Amino acid sequence: MKEYLVKFFVNDEPIELRVPANRTLLSVLREDLALTGTKEGCGAGECGACTVIVDGKAVNACLILAPELDGMHIETVEGLAKGSQISPLQESFIEHMALQCGFCTPGMLMSAESLLRDNPHPTRDEIKKAMSGNLCRCTGYKKIVEAIEAVAEKGVYDK
Amino acid sequence: MKDFQYLLPQTLEEAVRLKEEYDKAAVFMAGATDIVVRMRDYLLTPEYVIDLKKIPGLDGITFSKEEGLHIGCLATMNEIAGNEDVRKYYPTLAAAAESVGSRQVRNRATCVGNIVNASPLADTATPLYCYDAVLEILGPNGKREIPITEFILFVRKVALERGELVTGIRVPYREAEGEFRKIARRDQVDLSTVCGTVLKFGDEYHIAMGSVAPTPLRLKKTEELLAGKKLTKELIDEAAELAPTEVNPIDDVRASKQYRLDMVSYIVRDVLTKLA
Repeated sequence: MKEYLVKFFVNDEPIELRVPANRTLLSVLREDLALTGTKEGCGAGECGACTVIVDGKAVNACLILAPELDGMHIETVEGLAKGSQISPLQESFIEHMALQCGFCTPGMLMSAESLLRDNPHPTRDEIKKAMSGNLCRCTGYKKIVEAIEAVAEKGVYDK
Repeated sequence: MKDFQYLLPQTLEEAVRLKEEYDKAAVFMAGATDIVVRMRDYLLTPEYVIDLKKIPGLDGITFSKEEGLHIGCLATMNEIAGNEDVRKYYPTLAAAAESVGSRQVRNRATCVGNIVNASPLADTATPLYCYDAVLEILGPNGKREIPITEFILFVRKVALERGELVTGIRVPYREAEGEFRKIARRDQVDLSTVCGTVLKFGDEYHIAMGSVAPTPLRLKKTEELLAGKKLTKELIDEAAELAPTEVNPIDDVRASKQYRLDMVSYIVRDVLTKLA
C-alpha cells in the first residue's frame, strides 16, 4: 500500500503524517489524531455530523481524501474553545439547551461558526438554509436556530 | 474504500497524459463529492485517482456579454451561486447551483463535475441545456468543443475519448427570462424528483427537464409549439399537455412515473404562466 506524506494544520497545530490514499480526513482526525469531536454519521456527505472548516469553508470531512490534506488548514470543534474557555457559540448552545443526544452538535457548531464568520447577522431563513446540511435525529432544530440567533445578536462575530 | 494511487498533476498536459496512459483504470477528481461516495460503496474502484485541484487557472468564473460566461472545471457550486454575473445574467444557473446538496457539499462540488458525472437529475444541467452551453475538452489531440446536449449520452456515459478532460463550460449570453425549478421530497439537501428550466428569449422558448429520462432533455416539440407565439392561456394549456409526451420517466424510490409526468406539465404551465 502506497503512502503519501502530508503536512497540514489542525487548529493551528502543524501535523505531518504518512497516509494511504483510501482514507478520509474524518478517519485521520478520529483515528490518527484522536480528535473524536468530529463525528461520523452517514459517511456520504448527507448528515453534516463531520463538518469541519477547511481553509475557511465548511466541508464534510468524510468526503475529503487523506492525501488531499497536504497544505490544508483544518479547524475542528476542538479548536473552538480557547484553553478551558468555551466559545460564545458553545455557551449559547448550552444556554439554549440546543442539544439532546449531542451527536450532531459538533457538526452543528462548525456549520454555525462558519455561517457567522461569513454573515455575522443572518436572518432566521439564512440560518435554516446554512444549517440544512446538518441533520439532528432528535429533531431539536428550533433551539439550535435560537442559540445561533442569540449569539449573533450579541455581535460576537461583528467584523 | 479500495486502495488506489493518488496522482496530483501540476499541469493540464500532465493530467491528460496520465489519463491517456491509465485510461479506464483512472478517474479524474475535482470536488470529489460524487466519486468518494461511489468509491466508499465500491461502485467505483479506480486504480488511479487524478486530482486536478493543483492545476492553476481552472477555478475561474468570467463573464462578458460578447464572450458569455466561462466556468472553469474547478469552480465550485457555491462560487457559481454567489458570483454576481451568474446571479445577474444567468439566475437559473445560480439557482440550480444553489440547490445542490448542502452548503458543505457546495463548497467542494463543481459544476463541471456535476455534468461529467452525467446523472439524469444533475441540477445544473437543465439551465445549461437551455442556454446551449458548450463543454471545452482537452485531450491528447488538443482542444475541442461539444454542445452539452451531445456530451451527455446516457446515465453516467459521456462523449469523452481516451485521455480527454473537460476543462470548462462556455455559456453563451442571451438576454432571457425564466426559472429553474427543483421538485424534491424536502426543501434542502435532496436529489431532484424532477428538475427543469424554462427560458424565454424574446419570442423563442427553451425548455429542459431532468430526472425524466436517461439524460436531461430539451423539449423540442413544446419549444416549437411556442416559438413566435403570444403566451395565451390556451397555448400554455397546449404546451403543458405536450411537454410530458416528450419525456420518458421511470418509477423509483423518489416518485412514480405518473407523478413525474404531472410535474413536467406543472413546471411548464407554471413558469409559462409567470412569463405570460
